Amino acid sequence: MNCANQPAAATTQVPLALETSGVGLACELPADSGSDGRIWIPAGVSFRIRIANPAYRARLLAAIFDLVPDPDLRLVLLGAEVSALGMAERIALRARLAFLAAAGGLLSNLSAWENIVLPLGCHHPQRLQGIAVEVDALVSELGGVPKVLLGKLPEEMTLLEKKLTGFVRILLEAPDLVLVENFAAGLDSAGRTRLPYFANTYHARHPGGTFVQLEDVLGE
Amino acid sequence: MIGAYRELEACMLLLGHVLRRLPVLKLPPMAQQLTREIYFTGVSATAGIVTRGAFIGTLIIVYVIEVLEADAALAVKILLWVVLREMGPLLAAFLVLQRSGTAIATELALMQITGEIASLRQMRVDPRDYLVVPRVVGLAVSTAVLTFYVQVIAVGGGMLLSALVVNATFAELADSFFVLASPIDIVYSLLKSLAFGVGIAIISCYHGLHPPGISINAIPKAAISAVTQSTLVVMLLNVVFAYLVFGVLLFGLVTAEI
Repeated sequence: MNCANQPAAATTQVPLALETSGVGLACELPADSGSDGRIWIPAGVSFRIRIANPAYRARLLAAIFDLVPDPDLRLVLLGAEVSALGMAERIALRARLAFLAAAGGLLSNLSAWENIVLPLGCHHPQRLQGIAVEVDALVSELGGVPKVLLGKLPEEMTLLEKKLTGFVRILLEAPDLVLVENFAAGLDSAGRTRLPYFANTYHARHPGGTFVQLEDVLGE
Repeated sequence: MIGAYRELEACMLLLGHVLRRLPVLKLPPMAQQLTREIYFTGVSATAGIVTRGAFIGTLIIVYVIEVLEADAALAVKILLWVVLREMGPLLAAFLVLQRSGTAIATELALMQITGEIASLRQMRVDPRDYLVVPRVVGLAVSTAVLTFYVQVIAVGGGMLLSALVVNATFAELADSFFVLASPIDIVYSLLKSLAFGVGIAIISCYHGLHPPGISINAIPKAAISAVTQSTLVVMLLNVVFAYLVFGVLLFGLVTAEI
């Protein structure tokens, strides 16, 4: 199921309590967060959620990615209630998540290629052998030109190229849940049309994965 | 005072982390960082170090012979005590601090402010493993190598000049130098320069990772803190090493008799 670019009409399918079974991401945010209220995203879909209040957006991201759970925020990730997990389980869960920042989240002193293989080199160095072919294929699939892009430093890239580079880095690790922050922000209309390619490429490589686009209202 | 204690404690914890996590240098991204640090600090700084070392050695010899009217034997002793044991490691440490310490503090503070360190965390890469461990090891190795360069150039250059201005040949000066010098002098200066390099790197990394704010003004403040505190630590370490050698004579291996 692919619902990319559809706003989360969460209220119609929200259960009364936060369920864990088959859930990609679920949590409740208060009304002043400017969100769709209760967020409930099943596993294996693409979804877009809006949280207009930046403080709550940051809080939700911190709750998802920090190893210390937020005591005031009930959060279910990939079928597990985060507050009920021990540290080892949280570390294991964290390894199944990925985040694409609005600006790509690249390190400015590394080339696109070095940025792409950095997490792989740290977590699975044995996979680096022969990874260049896979990287080239992914860059091409997402609309980039490998020979042009991979040697560039972030300061030489367009915003779309930065997002593409960051997304290829994510795809190589095959996470079960991907959060993409404000994909459209800063892109022209042609660039904005690339998002479905990103989501489709992710789902084609990882059919059970959940793709969540996190947007603020101004980013539309 | 409490702030200084906390910073000291944090630096010691960071040092502990570096020592525990040395095996991460086998991973390709960390090995690449290590290579870059050694190149930046140890290789590309060589020309400047060599020039300054030759100036220092020459200056000391001229001062000792012309101003103090000392003979060649005393000039060689001064070269050994001042240049080999003290000035070599100190000069290399200050050049490393001036060049690489400021670069590390500035770079890491900028990475912290622009969110690049947060990006590393989101990739589950510990910034201390990726940024601190290679820099500490690279700076320590580079400082030791640069110290050796300074010693060779300053002592060699000083003796060459002495041969021109005093009534002794270069060979005679070199002979008396090698009679006075012992391997422990080299070990002493090597250990000292390694300690200087580790101290400078840890303090610079600490201030880079903990800039005093999130505005662009925090970057020069982090660099200033790194330089002032590293200077203090280098001087303190030098005093400790001098005490170990000249105070208790390092179990009799090194003597301070003139």
